[in-house]
Amino acid sequence: MKASLLAGLSFLVWVAPLPAHHSFGAEYDANKPITVKGVVTKFLWVNPHSYLYVSVKDEHGNAVGYAFETSSPNALERRGWTRHAVKEGDQVTIEGYLAKDGAKLSDGSIHANARSITLADGRKVFAGSSADDGGPAPK
Amino acid sequence: MKLSIIPSVFASAGVLATVLSLAPSPGFAQSARNGAQPSSQTPRAQAGPGGGMLIGPEGDKEAVPPPSGPTPRLSSGKPDLTGIWFAPKTIRGEPPSMTPWAEQILKSRNSKDDPEAHCLPAGVPRMTPYPYKFVQIPTLLIMLFEANIHSYRQVFTDGRKHPDDPDPTWYGDSIGSWDGDTLVVDTIGFNDKFWFDFAGHPHTEDLHITERYQRPDLGHLQIQITIVDPKAYTKPWIINRVSNLATNWEIHEYICNEFNVDTEHIVGR
Repeated sequence: MKASLLAGLSFLVWVAPLPAHHSFGAEYDANKPITVKGVVTKFLWVNPHSYLYVSVKDEHGNAVGYAFETSSPNALERRGWTRHAVKEGDQVTIEGYLAKDGAKLSDGSIHANARSITLADGRKVFAGSSADDGGPAPK
Repeated sequence: MKLSIIPSVFASAGVLATVLSLAPSPGFAQSARNGAQPSSQTPRAQAGPGGGMLIGPEGDKEAVPPPSGPTPRLSSGKPDLTGIWFAPKTIRGEPPSMTPWAEQILKSRNSKDDPEAHCLPAGVPRMTPYPYKFVQIPTLLIMLFEANIHSYRQVFTDGRKHPDDPDPTWYGDSIGSWDGDTLVVDTIGFNDKFWFDFAGHPHTEDLHITERYQRPDLGHLQIQITIVDPKAYTKPWIINRVSNLATNWEIHEYICNEFNVDTEHIVGR
């Protein structure tokens, strides 16, 4: 039985169930990581993904708007967030990945996915989404 | 052999602990809303490619393991599956054996067209990585999904049969019966609109799914799922899943269509 068990385990595929309703790889490019430092202009605590909007100064000093997709409110809350955790005017540094299509959202923001956020007090916190789809087949 | 492997996995606490620890998950994290006390056990979620072990800004809402204890029972004496379940971990076996039709459909699909990404139901047996609640009485099991578009399934355990000609639906028509302490849920009457996964494994309206639910103790729910659809798969496709009881959680509202702004930007594949 022990041999059978080990043989069975060799077929197991465990995937981290992080909340998302779409595939990360279908929308964001793991080869396009970005880190931006800016000021929060809006934090939308909304489904299916919360969005953190940040104004970032480019090399010419011009303000550029980014919209970072994060996880859903329920998933963020279970990781220790509240809707008040980040607010307008906060200085943040966000690590994430740009959207594959390079297009902006309808409000003109550069579209990206946030993986972690460093808050003004230096704490680096989780923000991410995506991964397992819960389906019977591997991706 | 499949049948005997899986219970053996769960019979071994050491193996189970090892396997669970391989799946960094928010599964046991405590909700701030629920005011749970932090502990210092399960590893925190991994943030993704290159990510570290990070938590949210309000502090360390560490995980608690599922509780131990005997299987709760209904007034009928059968196991009571009631509870809030989370960390649905799917044990995927060998790849499905597809018909040429299914292979062609799979090849043609692009995840930007995945109905679930457009806030349509994930169907059965696909699970979204959110908690779900079972409410059970002897004649009925209700499955309430936080996500999977915040919908529900009804499993009738009052002895009724399937309708003769059910309308095809996203969740099908489910009836349940007992095989000892195992609840066997038989579902037909599916539409062919939902996908089994991001990849787009297809099915037809002939899809027939059998789910075998076991609650071997207070804290765990084990499910063996058999997918039969001869037009799409040349032999039954069997997967196994385990969920843990989330004692201090509640399911919350999740209205997917509220702000689904990014779908148009999904490139796919």
